[in-house]
Amino acid sequence: MPNPDIDGAVMPLPEALRALPQVAPAQSAWPQLAAQLAAQSGARDRVSPRRRYFIPAAIAAGILLALIASPLLLQLRGPQPSALSPQPATIPQPVASTNTNATNTTNATNPQTAADSGVQLAALQQRSQELEHWLRETSRAAAPLSGQDLAAATEIEDMIGMVDMQLGAQQSNGGLPLWRHRVALLEDLTVLRYSSYSVAASGVDAKALMPTNWAN
Amino acid sequence: MSEAFSQLEVPASLIERARAGELAAFEQIYRRFERPVYTLALRMLANAESAHEVMHDAMLKVFQRIDQYRSDAPFWAWLRQIATNEALMRLRRDRRFDVDTGAETDEIADADAPPWVRADALALERALGKLPALTRSVLWMYHVEGYSHPEIADLVGKTVSFSKSQVARGTARLRDLLAPVTEHVSCRIQTSMAL
Repeated sequence: MPNPDIDGAVMPLPEALRALPQVAPAQSAWPQLAAQLAAQSGARDRVSPRRRYFIPAAIAAGILLALIASPLLLQLRGPQPSALSPQPATIPQPVASTNTNATNTTNATNPQTAADSGVQLAALQQRSQELEHWLRETSRAAAPLSGQDLAAATEIEDMIGMVDMQLGAQQSNGGLPLWRHRVALLEDLTVLRYSSYSVAASGVDAKALMPTNWAN
Repeated sequence: MSEAFSQLEVPASLIERARAGELAAFEQIYRRFERPVYTLALRMLANAESAHEVMHDAMLKVFQRIDQYRSDAPFWAWLRQIATNEALMRLRRDRRFDVDTGAETDEIADADAPPWVRADALALERALGKLPALTRSVLWMYHVEGYSHPEIADLVGKTVSFSKSQVARGTARLRDLLAPVTEHVSCRIQTSMAL
């Protein structure tokens, strides 16, 4: 609460500030907003009427990359039980490349390292896809988020958008750190959404819809 | 603040129409909140162009996420939170996260009325605009928007002590900035009375 000793006994500063008149912008932002909303609505209708959670174009590029990399992946990995270790809210580590790290992913001169990078990339993209699928499926049944969670979700979505912009600008498949970051952000978003989904008690098992390699 | 919230209440039917994607509903919401959002942004940023952009971005974000809004919470509180975040992001982006770093001022209640009692709105607005950006934002968020110190600390990524000190320093600075103005006004009043 404001301190009357600081703010003055006659007219506290908060009161003086609140008494300042509201200001109208010199120009309305509505025409621009209306155009943007109409454009977005049209695009959404054209692409998919079920699409409520944004999926950037970079994901499509990522999936394409994953498909291209998958034959190589299968040859190199052999009968691995799972590409991802079941760690909640952590960046997955590929089983097939136990001695790799982010720093050697750009070393395209070593074929083994390049293959490991491909494995990691494909795994991350698959995980990203699964998390997005889960978020999309549960968003319809989830309870609306509280103000604080919603603000956090908004911030995470913005950060995902920033990562996607960077991925979109990436020419080669050297975006492994970006994909790791993307998956980590999606996991954060999933944690937020999972709690609201549980609250909704919609009768559908959230865990059944959850990506199989993501334990909560 | 509850009074302010009740004045900015949004009918549930309007929210439902907006959720259904009705452009006219969005427009109604925009018209209702244009001034409060723009004023909040302008007070924090002290720049009309930036305030306009923040208002635009905040409104767009709200419209895009309208289906995530929980109707049992005040709509203005939600919109205000988003607008505040946008304004703070803008300050960070423009590297205007400057603060009043002057010596800690021990505020003593004056026997006289504080200068903002005698200053007109324009003088107070100008003085507010002269404060460092983050100090001004913290002062506004605390005194007008009703955020608590822990909430402000969380929003700006600083400590509770930081928030408290910025409110104290900002208040002291406003007092300093307004004192010459109000002294000038009172001198003129005395002179005219003597005549």
